[in-house]
Amino acid sequence: MKTLKYFSILALILSISSCKDFLDIKPQGELTQEVFPTSPSDAQLATNAVYASLRNWHYHSGGFPILDIMSDDTHKGSNPNDALNTVGPYDNFTHTATQDGLDRWWSTLYEGIKRANVVTEKVPLISMDTNLRSRYVAEAMFLRGLFYFDLVRAWGGVPLVLTTTPPLKVPRSTADEIYEQIEIDLLYAVARLPERSAYSSMELGRASKGAAKSLLAKVYLFQNDFVNAEKYALEVINGTEYYDLEPEFAHANSRDGEHGIESVFEIGAFELESDLGNQYANTQGVRGTPNRGWGFNRPSENLRFAFDENDPRMDATIIDLGEELDEILILGDGTTPDFVYDDNGNIIERECYNQKVWIPGSNTASQQGHNRRLIRFADVLLMAAEALNENNKPGDAHVYLNKVRNRARGGNNEILPDITETDKNALRDIILNERRFELALEGHRYWDLIRTGKAAQVLGPLGFIVGKHEVLPIPQNEIDISQGTLIQNLNWN
Amino acid sequence: MKINLRKMLFSWRVIVITGTAMLLSAGAFSQRLVQGVVTTAETGETLPGVNIVIKNTTRGAASDLDGRYSLEILPEDKILVFSYTGYEVQEVEVGSGNTLNIALKESKQLLDEIVVIGYGTVRKSDLTGAVSSIKSEDIRKITSSDPTQALQGKVTGVQVTTTSGAPGAGLSVRVRGVGTFNNSAPIYVVDGVILDDISFLSSGDIASMEVLKDASATAIYGSRGANGVILISTNRGASEVGKPVVTLSSEYGIQQLARKIDLLSGKEFASVSNVIRPGSYNNVDAVPNTDWQDLIFRAAPKQSHQLSISGSTPAADYYVGIGLFQQDGIIPKSNYQRLSLKLNNTYRLFKNVTFGNNITIAPYQRRNAPGVTYAVYRAQPLLEPYYEDGSFGVVYNVGNPLADLEYSNSYNNGLRGVGNIFAEAKIHKDFTLKTSFGIDAAYNKSTSFTPAYTVFNPDGTASQQDIEFSNLYKGSNENLNWLWENTLSHLKTFGKHSFNSVAGFTMQKSRSEYFNLSGRNIIRDERDFWYIIPPYIMDEANNINTLQSIGNGVDAGLYYSMMSVLARVNYTYDSRYIFTVTFRRDGSSKFAPENRFSNFPSFAAGWNIANEEFMKDFPVITMLKLRASWGMIGNEKISYFDRFSRVNSGLFAVFSNPDASYPAATYGKSGNPDLIWESTTQTDIGLEVGVLNNRLTGEFDYYRRVTDDILVELSTPGHLGNGQGQRVRYNAASVLNSGYEFNIRWRETKRDFTYGVGILGTTIYNEVLAIGGNSGIDSVLMGGYLGNGQPVTLSRVGLPIGAFYGFVTDGIFQNLAELDAYPHQSLAGVGDLRFVDTNDDGKINGLDRTYIGSPIPKFIFGINFELAYKAFDFSLDLQGQTGNKIFNGKDVVRPDPYNFEGYVRDHWTGEGTSNNIPRPSFGGYNYSPSDYFIQDGSFLRLRNIMFGYTLPENLVKKIKLQKVRLYVKGNDLYTLTKYTGYTPEIGGYDVLSNGIDNGVYPLSAVYSVGLNINF
Repeated sequence: MKTLKYFSILALILSISSCKDFLDIKPQGELTQEVFPTSPSDAQLATNAVYASLRNWHYHSGGFPILDIMSDDTHKGSNPNDALNTVGPYDNFTHTATQDGLDRWWSTLYEGIKRANVVTEKVPLISMDTNLRSRYVAEAMFLRGLFYFDLVRAWGGVPLVLTTTPPLKVPRSTADEIYEQIEIDLLYAVARLPERSAYSSMELGRASKGAAKSLLAKVYLFQNDFVNAEKYALEVINGTEYYDLEPEFAHANSRDGEHGIESVFEIGAFELESDLGNQYANTQGVRGTPNRGWGFNRPSENLRFAFDENDPRMDATIIDLGEELDEILILGDGTTPDFVYDDNGNIIERECYNQKVWIPGSNTASQQGHNRRLIRFADVLLMAAEALNENNKPGDAHVYLNKVRNRARGGNNEILPDITETDKNALRDIILNERRFELALEGHRYWDLIRTGKAAQVLGPLGFIVGKHEVLPIPQNEIDISQGTLIQNLNWN
Repeated sequence: MKINLRKMLFSWRVIVITGTAMLLSAGAFSQRLVQGVVTTAETGETLPGVNIVIKNTTRGAASDLDGRYSLEILPEDKILVFSYTGYEVQEVEVGSGNTLNIALKESKQLLDEIVVIGYGTVRKSDLTGAVSSIKSEDIRKITSSDPTQALQGKVTGVQVTTTSGAPGAGLSVRVRGVGTFNNSAPIYVVDGVILDDISFLSSGDIASMEVLKDASATAIYGSRGANGVILISTNRGASEVGKPVVTLSSEYGIQQLARKIDLLSGKEFASVSNVIRPGSYNNVDAVPNTDWQDLIFRAAPKQSHQLSISGSTPAADYYVGIGLFQQDGIIPKSNYQRLSLKLNNTYRLFKNVTFGNNITIAPYQRRNAPGVTYAVYRAQPLLEPYYEDGSFGVVYNVGNPLADLEYSNSYNNGLRGVGNIFAEAKIHKDFTLKTSFGIDAAYNKSTSFTPAYTVFNPDGTASQQDIEFSNLYKGSNENLNWLWENTLSHLKTFGKHSFNSVAGFTMQKSRSEYFNLSGRNIIRDERDFWYIIPPYIMDEANNINTLQSIGNGVDAGLYYSMMSVLARVNYTYDSRYIFTVTFRRDGSSKFAPENRFSNFPSFAAGWNIANEEFMKDFPVITMLKLRASWGMIGNEKISYFDRFSRVNSGLFAVFSNPDASYPAATYGKSGNPDLIWESTTQTDIGLEVGVLNNRLTGEFDYYRRVTDDILVELSTPGHLGNGQGQRVRYNAASVLNSGYEFNIRWRETKRDFTYGVGILGTTIYNEVLAIGGNSGIDSVLMGGYLGNGQPVTLSRVGLPIGAFYGFVTDGIFQNLAELDAYPHQSLAGVGDLRFVDTNDDGKINGLDRTYIGSPIPKFIFGINFELAYKAFDFSLDLQGQTGNKIFNGKDVVRPDPYNFEGYVRDHWTGEGTSNNIPRPSFGGYNYSPSDYFIQDGSFLRLRNIMFGYTLPENLVKKIKLQKVRLYVKGNDLYTLTKYTGYTPEIGGYDVLSNGIDNGVYPLSAVYSVGLNINF
């Protein structure tokens, strides 16, 4: 029985002394959220992580350029069967609340917001260089504003989350409340972000004061607050920070113009098929030969023939079969018909691709290196022109509008004459058209049509229904999971 | 040689004679001869071959063909022990006479059988749980790298699926249905060490396997018992002191492709192509015909050798085994070999204390074939494998499988060491204390190398098989798991009361780590250069190792600690009434402190009706026992970090021109600190019957298992910011498995003739009772992905786990009128499949996809025959299942023009020509997942057929051997099934992907010869 006694004692000691430690295992090689971010280098890591969201494929409207596809500028693209039931419905407004891509975009924008909230909530508690700390927070605020701006434009009022620990159920705020928060965030960013030139060349791509002001101008434009839109657009144009148009239109989006004078805010990406690349361009890249991508977002015949026939921007926007780009012959895809005709023999679609995402090369990896320009100076000029016209200053509007047209001319004074129209309504239409030609396939057209009230007229024939298609439906699974907390948009049930 | 052998025999004789002479000199005056006849008590027939041993010695004799024996007896010899298989052992005092006739009684063998259960043993008659056993003879009938395969068709309630014919491939094992959405595999306990698999064990080292099925049996394993427990006892030295027993088993077999898939020939493919794309081939008679299956598959050897020595001395008993298993695959370049060294000892060096060890060390090496079955199935048969110059011909879309084989080099090798040392102290006449410390150490290294190579198109340009740079991958992982178990057993009988109890305390810790790296552009292709050596230069121009990736971390499933207390009381009253109470309390590091511990109780009762007074009137019934059990058991096979909210540090920001990457880190998805154990409540009612002296036995069970709190990953609201597609684990589903098991066996020995037949079966009813998210995507679990990532299983309340879903077809659109009259997708045309508008909304779309079959069999069964006459023995084992479906996943994914299965020959060619096989196409509409690709997965397989011959004893004795048996055997020679793939046994990478045939390494039929020798 002695052995038993020793054994019992041993067992008892073991179970009491080591129980707690023995069963306590921390994650190996990974930090837990209780201990991050807590140091100056953590603060930088956490801030950088918000930018990483911008290269997330789903950040770009759920992976597919559905906003352009919903406009009159493009069709689904790729070969006829590819994503016919997933992306195809956006092309003719038959998409539903369960449509592929909606939930990805929604949850990825909120993922970006969470990353921004990590910075805004935790970084101020870190003891470090106060200037740097305030810049990090301002960068996060800028990006949070950017994410919410997508949310509010796409869905209207959405749940407003400003902490890392939101409750499971958060009802939708109103669109006005979301806009109010975006303005708070961007004004904070405007006040504390450095100008672009204050960053070292190694940090080009971080949010700057100019980017924040440009985004703010746009946010006001979407609320028809033309006074503030004019104010911030002109501050960018006339401010001390030097922005200008690339001499050559094509460089505004190409590799040559990356982080150039026209770039106000852009998303850097490596020419790699990895986390460092950006599949946004790969999704739209030339399909077939050369094999650059999937070929979604095919420019429509409508867009092609909307350009003034001499406008060089058409050729710089659309890649046609047989074209040679950077010494690479575009042959296209065998499974995609070169032309699609209607019953009367008219071309309704032809195989062609988005040239604005083109990066020289012949494989899919290099295509991923396209730096998407979220805000470029031409956009700011046209925003200024639009706001000035609305504020009854057509003369001033002409200055900025014609600056854009002048660059588009490429030195050929025979084409694209200066605009002198002073009728407010007529000039509004001219500016809207100029936006279409200048910014085609860059994700602006659909929202421009909505905010200017032209959607019914332009998109009606494509299936657009007034009172419904101004916004997207809240993803059905979000409605389901919320168990009644989230209310679907009007006419989407 | 002959002379030498004679000399040797002669010298043996000298030794024997000398030894005998010494014995004679020791007791020359007092020896005497005892002789007699051994008969059966029941019939009085004489019994040949009865073993007669003088107790506490190694001396003895055997009865001859007439049952006669004779023995030299010394004065100190008091007792003779008579033993014969199937009869009770009798000990008889020698007395003073010279004649001793004995009548042996047939044993009520089943009643007296000792059954191994968790942390102890129990007499079969005192068992209240549902436990199935399989003995070593049956385990050895199947030559496999994994001994678990021997359970196929041999025990009730267990479904063992051979999912791949690849050498050394694993098995899928399910006990009583599929109990969870997570890991549903049972645990294995080898001589007390708890393990996840036994692929390292040699069949020849195993003495018995017991499958614990109901809660009464498994609750002692608490949180790990929910999916069944398989106990393995390995061989030990004899418990009685005797001379060493040396056995040698050797087997050599040839494997052949068991079934070929019927695919189109070159001409047939050209003809079908001409239907799809008219004018593709001008002269279908002129196209080549390549049978890719014949080019790839080969006959390959498989062999197994086992040598063991066991015995017992007063101070120790010992078992030493060495086994070699070697298998080449029927796909060239694939093979597996394993050496297993086994050492089991028990030492009796102190009074009341024994100690010992059980150790297995198994180094292995496996070479993996590339996934050529993918290309073999799809390669167009009218392409030639080689060009005229002998170089590899292009195979469009899938690559030339012969080139894949030529350039693929993939190896795994490693070492597994499993063992324990134990000490047992009899601290009191009723109490035994046992402590055991065991380890399971595994080291595995994988290496794969592909040289740069190109298969060219006929025009000289590179085809898609174009590897620009050689690449090399090296990975290793190691796992160390220790287990310390301490138990106190109590065994006491007084009056009519009998107790068999155990209590214990256990601790276990498992650690793991992996490293891997890959490089490319290795300087030479030979194996001597397969190393990734610094400096890593990112400039390919320098033709030096270029580092591609590095990985390091822990295997989250193998990183945990556990601590438990356990207890069981088995009480028997008057050999009639039995009660068992079992309890285990487990603590696991996988759960947060407040949920860390959980209790697992079970209760069971048994009634040996045959032992009742009133049964005396029915002597024909030898055994009749009713038993019932209820209990709760758990499953904790999840990764350890699901409860933590972790930081995602694998992120980058990209700034600057040219691009520069900046490391980034932020909050990852939220963990769920509230996780608790999955728990299974199981009820079992069983009846055991034996009649006619147990010549006929039967065992019947009803089981009902309900698993609650199943861990499933659910979507979280997007606004939490967990990210796209990220799910968080919750305890949020329930599953029911229920059914009946029966095992009926007739076995009879008449003189030198023995025959037996057994039939056993299990029914399985599986139903999902609840899935946590009560809405939208979380009311179902989708899985079972095809090669293109499309899910084809959907689990929802009311359906079995992993049920197939897709369109329902209803014939073929025969003409335009039919097409127009029925809703259809725009892509559908005349001659295409008609998908049913299951929701009657006038449209055919994703919403019309519905339940189209279950991968879980309704009934699994086995039929076994045995026959022995004098020196000859014969056995035949059949195994099968019915009621399950297979999704022919390899046929359905067709992005490019591939070859077709033979059924396409009979395709629709015009109105009325076929209403089940549509017009041919290289892909598209008809290949939407539908019940068109669902096939009946029922099968009946000839698992084993064996014919053996034991050499006559007198001949064997002449060469100083005890026993020599020769046999010929066939495994998996024939399978009766309607399924068109290589094998109807289709597993899956998880429970949601069962029964989807995305292409498997084919099963082979094995023809073997073998030899067993006892020295």
